[in-house]
Amino acid sequence: MRFFLMITAFFLTFLQSNAQEIRFDLGYNYLSAPEWDNAIQTYNFSRPFLENNQPLLMHGLSTSGSYLFRSSSRMSHGVGLSYSYFRSAAKNENLAVSLNLSLIKMSYILHLKTSKKEPKYYFDLVVSSVAAGLFRSVEPYSSDDSEARAFGIGGEVAVKAGYMILSNGQMTLSPFISLGYVPYFFSPDAEASLNQTKGLTSKRWTNMLTGEIGLAMSISKARAR
Amino acid sequence: MKRRKFVRNSTLFSMGGLLIPGVFMSSCKEDTLFMSVDFQGKVLIIGAGVAGLYAGYLLKENGINFQILEASSNHGGRVGKLSTFADFPIDLGAQWLHGNNNILGDLIKKSKTKTSLDDSALQYWFNGELVPKLPQDINIFEGDDLPDVSFQDYATQKGFTEEYKYVVETIAGDQGASASRLSVLNNNLEEENWSSGEEDYKFEETFFDLIDREIASKVKDEMLLDTVVDKIDYSQSVIVVTDKKGNRYEVDKVIITVPITILKDGDINFVPVLPSNKINAFSKIGMDAGMKVFLKFHSKFYDQNISGGRVSAAYADDSVGKLGADHVLLAFVMGDQAEVLTGLGNDEAITNALLEELDTMYEGQATATFVSSHVENWTTNPFVRGAYSYSPVGIGDARKVAAESIEDKIYFAGEAMNVNGHHQTVHGAVETGYREVINILNSVKK
Repeated sequence: MRFFLMITAFFLTFLQSNAQEIRFDLGYNYLSAPEWDNAIQTYNFSRPFLENNQPLLMHGLSTSGSYLFRSSSRMSHGVGLSYSYFRSAAKNENLAVSLNLSLIKMSYILHLKTSKKEPKYYFDLVVSSVAAGLFRSVEPYSSDDSEARAFGIGGEVAVKAGYMILSNGQMTLSPFISLGYVPYFFSPDAEASLNQTKGLTSKRWTNMLTGEIGLAMSISKARAR
Repeated sequence: MKRRKFVRNSTLFSMGGLLIPGVFMSSCKEDTLFMSVDFQGKVLIIGAGVAGLYAGYLLKENGINFQILEASSNHGGRVGKLSTFADFPIDLGAQWLHGNNNILGDLIKKSKTKTSLDDSALQYWFNGELVPKLPQDINIFEGDDLPDVSFQDYATQKGFTEEYKYVVETIAGDQGASASRLSVLNNNLEEENWSSGEEDYKFEETFFDLIDREIASKVKDEMLLDTVVDKIDYSQSVIVVTDKKGNRYEVDKVIITVPITILKDGDINFVPVLPSNKINAFSKIGMDAGMKVFLKFHSKFYDQNISGGRVSAAYADDSVGKLGADHVLLAFVMGDQAEVLTGLGNDEAITNALLEELDTMYEGQATATFVSSHVENWTTNPFVRGAYSYSPVGIGDARKVAAESIEDKIYFAGEAMNVNGHHQTVHGAVETGYREVINILNSVKK
């Protein structure tokens, strides 16, 4: 986490001096990963002794920072870094289990505004590399529970649309919606983290569909000059 | 931006913000499998070992009609309990939970079953003396590019001399196998799949108590004991199972959970005959002789764990983790050594052979303090005939072939049918029990 913050701080400090636009996003994230859903459903089905089912890993929060290079046209491009966190928690008597998924994305962004002057809408095409860690934490904890962790990598293609609702010339607030597709390759331990065994989910990868809705705050330097 | 416009835009996006996640959330995602499956057929489970019991438990929870046929007079299979030997109950069969990052680990926590970490110290019987450490590290059976040869042959290839033979036998004995048959390659491949955790846990009561209380008690009403299956006719859409007493059971699906030895020996007649690749797969899965001999003494003179004995490669202090004052030493005898002891013909001879070895190790203290013994010979149990499955040289993908269902009618479960590296274990057997229930429901969903 400290590393992530340092990188983010460095990234923002460096980019502020050159940026046409710096943008911070905060949003609700929806995730659909069929293989993981299947693994969690198998876990629930196989454990009728648990009164509460483990929820699917589908709801999360994300935050990101991006930098868009200066451009004389409506189209510009930039880079971004984002972090998403998903959690599935089930509290049963004597056994509380939570699955925690962290996704980090490094992105290249193609940014299109509907007009050069006072645009209302913008659209992004975002291509990202994705790294993720999946952790299972258990209460009460025992030494073997430390085994339940898994990592994986993938790539994402996402489209994003935003609408500028408030602007004072330098700062803009814009709600946005984003949809993405991630082919994600996970280590065999991912299934062991989700349902405590291996081989019941046949694939070693899963399609992920992501949806995000949130609010972006953009700071533009170019207009201030 | 004008105030009115700002308010309008904000309202629109707020509504969108509320609606869109709702649309996502209702996108046909259920958090339970088979919510929509309505299976009215009947399932027959053959074997009331842990796999069969757990399959029955899940079927019951899902409202599916089933019956369990058990050949012996007790449920539990290779998990058993004896309360009269010492002042604490002893595990006649499976005794350790191997790692608790598994379904039984969850069940233990949920039911607040008391277990303790078994990390007792180890002594080696090596060159006629007990030593805490071997002169040469024999941790050679893990890694890359391992050959498909036996443990014993591989140890010889790596330069380990005859003195290490019984230490190698102990390592293989953990897998329920003779070191001359257990495959280095396949055992290692399966170990790589292991995801349950590295620690061993012992029960303050017994493993049987957990299984009996939390699983078997749910399905006892659907269990028929002393019922040996003779024939399974799956040639028609309705499967007809006949037991040795001539009783017929007409069912839609059958889950077979008997030990692999029973399938290898052809005790059950299938009509039509099972496919040849299936029979071949059964024959490739190993299951060696195995027994547990409990020796009670007046006092404790022995170490917590002893490895490398000529008569029994492994001894363990059975009192560790138990509430009781009696001193019980367990001889855990597997593979060739179990065959030799079985060949002695009776429990007294087996006990004497073990006492003689312990006397050699501990200068006659075993015989001097001996009280009584109990021999649990799984090899001579007609419905088990061995310890547990292992992967011999040349096994290949036999477990996967053996575990495949036949025509969506006959399903195979039990520890030997675990293809995830958790064979030989109780939690591995449970996994196959619920796996086959899932397979049955998937076949119905089709």
